[in-house]
Amino acid sequence: MRRELGIFCAVVVMCGFLFWSNHDFGKAANLLNVSRQAAMLGIFAIGSSFVIITGGIDLSVGAIIGLTGVLIAKISSPSVHCLNHPLWVGISIALGVALLIGLIQGLLISRLKLQPFIVTLAGMLLVRGTAQIITHGGTLGLGTSPLINLSTEGLFHYGYHAVLAYPMLMFIGVIILASYLLHGTVFGRYVFAIGGNRDAAQYSGIPVDRVETLTYVISAGLAGVAGICYASYIGQMTYYVGNGYELNAIAAAVIGGVSLRGGEGSVLGAIIGSIMMEVIQNGIILFKWVYHSAGHREVFRLSSNWTYFITGAVILLAVLIDQLANILNKRKRLKRQAQIAAAKQ
Amino acid sequence: MAEDYILRMRGVTKRFPGVTALENVDLELRSGEVLALMGENGAGKSTLMKILGGAQPPDEGELLIDGKAVEFRSVSDSRRNGIVLVHQELMMASNLDVAGNIFLGSEKSHWGLLNRRAMRSASVALLCRVGLSCSPAMLVSALTPGQMQMVEIAKALSHKARILILDEPTSSLTLTESEQLFKIIGDLKRDGIAIIYISHRMKEVKRLADRVIVLRDGKRVGELEHDQITQNKIVSMMVGRELTNWYPPLRPKANYPPILQVNNLIVPGAPCAVSFEAGKGEIVGFAGLVGSGRTELMQAIFGTTPSLGGTLTVDGQAFAPRRPRDAISRGIYLAPEDRKHHGLVLPMSIAQNISMPDIHNYKPRIWLQRGHELVVAKKQLESLRIKAPGVKHRVGSLSGGNQQKVVLGKWLAMRPKILILDEPTRGVDVGAKAEIYREMMELAQQGITILMVSSEMEEVLGMSDRIVVMRERRMEGVLPRDQATQERIAALMTGAGKIDKSIGV
Repeated sequence: MRRELGIFCAVVVMCGFLFWSNHDFGKAANLLNVSRQAAMLGIFAIGSSFVIITGGIDLSVGAIIGLTGVLIAKISSPSVHCLNHPLWVGISIALGVALLIGLIQGLLISRLKLQPFIVTLAGMLLVRGTAQIITHGGTLGLGTSPLINLSTEGLFHYGYHAVLAYPMLMFIGVIILASYLLHGTVFGRYVFAIGGNRDAAQYSGIPVDRVETLTYVISAGLAGVAGICYASYIGQMTYYVGNGYELNAIAAAVIGGVSLRGGEGSVLGAIIGSIMMEVIQNGIILFKWVYHSAGHREVFRLSSNWTYFITGAVILLAVLIDQLANILNKRKRLKRQAQIAAAKQ
Repeated sequence: MAEDYILRMRGVTKRFPGVTALENVDLELRSGEVLALMGENGAGKSTLMKILGGAQPPDEGELLIDGKAVEFRSVSDSRRNGIVLVHQELMMASNLDVAGNIFLGSEKSHWGLLNRRAMRSASVALLCRVGLSCSPAMLVSALTPGQMQMVEIAKALSHKARILILDEPTSSLTLTESEQLFKIIGDLKRDGIAIIYISHRMKEVKRLADRVIVLRDGKRVGELEHDQITQNKIVSMMVGRELTNWYPPLRPKANYPPILQVNNLIVPGAPCAVSFEAGKGEIVGFAGLVGSGRTELMQAIFGTTPSLGGTLTVDGQAFAPRRPRDAISRGIYLAPEDRKHHGLVLPMSIAQNISMPDIHNYKPRIWLQRGHELVVAKKQLESLRIKAPGVKHRVGSLSGGNQQKVVLGKWLAMRPKILILDEPTRGVDVGAKAEIYREMMELAQQGITILMVSSEMEEVLGMSDRIVVMRERRMEGVLPRDQATQERIAALMTGAGKIDKSIGV
């Protein structure tokens, strides 16, 4: 819990600082936008966390987000080159395909003992390639499809904006389900046990293969759900939507205290990590520094070219602070013991 | 009568590529009986138990439980029949709490939701039965190895085990913890639970076992009833010949010129500083219980865990080792306790392992001289009599004894001044043991100082010129060979003896 609390405080401080630097940060439109972004990232970051806690990794998440959107557009959009079936057909097929991809990857990893990194790397390329073939490398518009409204419509309106947009509602649903699944059920316990000591899990009669396979199905399934949201949010699909998102998911999870060594992490951590990632992105756009030079009022803004740099720095800083705290604690304890030992001499 | 037996294994055979691990082995077990299973490493004990535990299927043969033939396809199949295997390497998920580990794989739940409270309260009763007073909500990573062992047994009890297999259960326990375990074994016996007890420790076997079955090279070579059990009988069955003299003849008492001085070394976690010295060509044995701080002291001398104060003096030069390089450059080498993790790179060849610490001397300019590497390795292979097809052979597929010899060879190629051997014969079979002892004696004769950590009393008494006894991370006493007896060492180890610091420190 210590890690989650620390990151939560950091997020609060960051938000405070951003609000101070640019009051636009606090405007309803911006806050709703940031929370929608965080919700969409959070949905698949939670999925990734399941895999990471078992000690695995899923690199195909971003590609699945892309393919889901492309499939929905291809099947359900009324635009040219698209098939104009009802929306529910598109969504069901797309989600089904996502789950199937997760199942195949999970089976390859758990039954054939292939390495997760390689399987999901190949999976990422295959899935992205499939999307590229379907779109012929171009763009599929969603046109007048009712899907367009999904990312903006929702419950409790405030002015023109829905306070709880559908992606947000989906996120809340995912949080509740995932929290129960990971922290309250036997399945969740197995996920932690496999990440903590695979042999112990095996020898305790845990169906390690099945649990591991399911984590990849969950990861791919939640990526599919996120894919629906992104398709609606962007309004048109190209094959490279979601490119690199798997790394955002891993980053969010790690910032929130999910350990890549396995056996450690929480749904709450993945949520806070996702919020952190999106606040950084938003902060880079909004941050401004007003100063006076030679009697003129000047405004300093960060160029969006700084996005990667700052995100990288924050990830490094988060794990660095955590590790430094561990090392310092250990050193303090040892020093105390040494003093006692020397005194006895 | 066949109906007497709770378990029978008949004609069990298991082949692995290249070896027959088990050949036509029979085993029978009555309820409420302690059956000791003995044999050298590689004799097939663990394979037999894996088959019984459902982790591996046999190639031939059948299993009968209560006279009915059964077939185990998985660990849970075997568990459903009341068979629980407690592994030698503790199988714990250290990120979970005690209750979580006890019920790992058989969680109490309602519609898939964990019932933590029920598991914790059920754990309390089980922990009580194994004499452990820790909270079920405690993280397993905070327990001692002895406590973890008890948690493992509690876990086995939670499965309502009828047949409990204990694989070297005392290897990581202190004396008191072992006593506690023996008491629990007695209780379980009375409850009618059959126990298969695997151990190398004769004393325990003699005390606990109703019957002994000995395996050699995958075959059952003999069976002894309780009153027939003697050490000599078992050992000769195990090795297939009478083994009279394990240890090389005692050397006459000599004055060794001092070479190593340890001055007020503060080992992390130790309650006080440690000082001792060792002479050129002397073998100093370090006796003590598991966890008495011997390994930690050696790691501080070697620099893997830097000391928090104090110095070493080698040949009159004082220094404080901060990293292994510091010790290695002064001719102090360590053959670690856990050789598979700290001593060797298992997927690499014998030659590559031997050249590793000295790799810079194998490249005059840029390129590694593979030929030179092979020549050096071959020399060690021959002088240490390592049984391997060649120096390019992977270390991982060698037996324990030969692996240990590769670790020795790696350091001997670098001409040691001081050689630290941490449990040099752990996991090494009887034949290779005698060879390692002979080698150690030869090295000492050549003037190499040996610091030997050992948990085997006989080894310490049979090899050392001087014996340092440690208890709770401090030096409890130093005994010259002629004043050391098993009783005296045991008294110091357990804290029953008076502090004996006057001699030889």
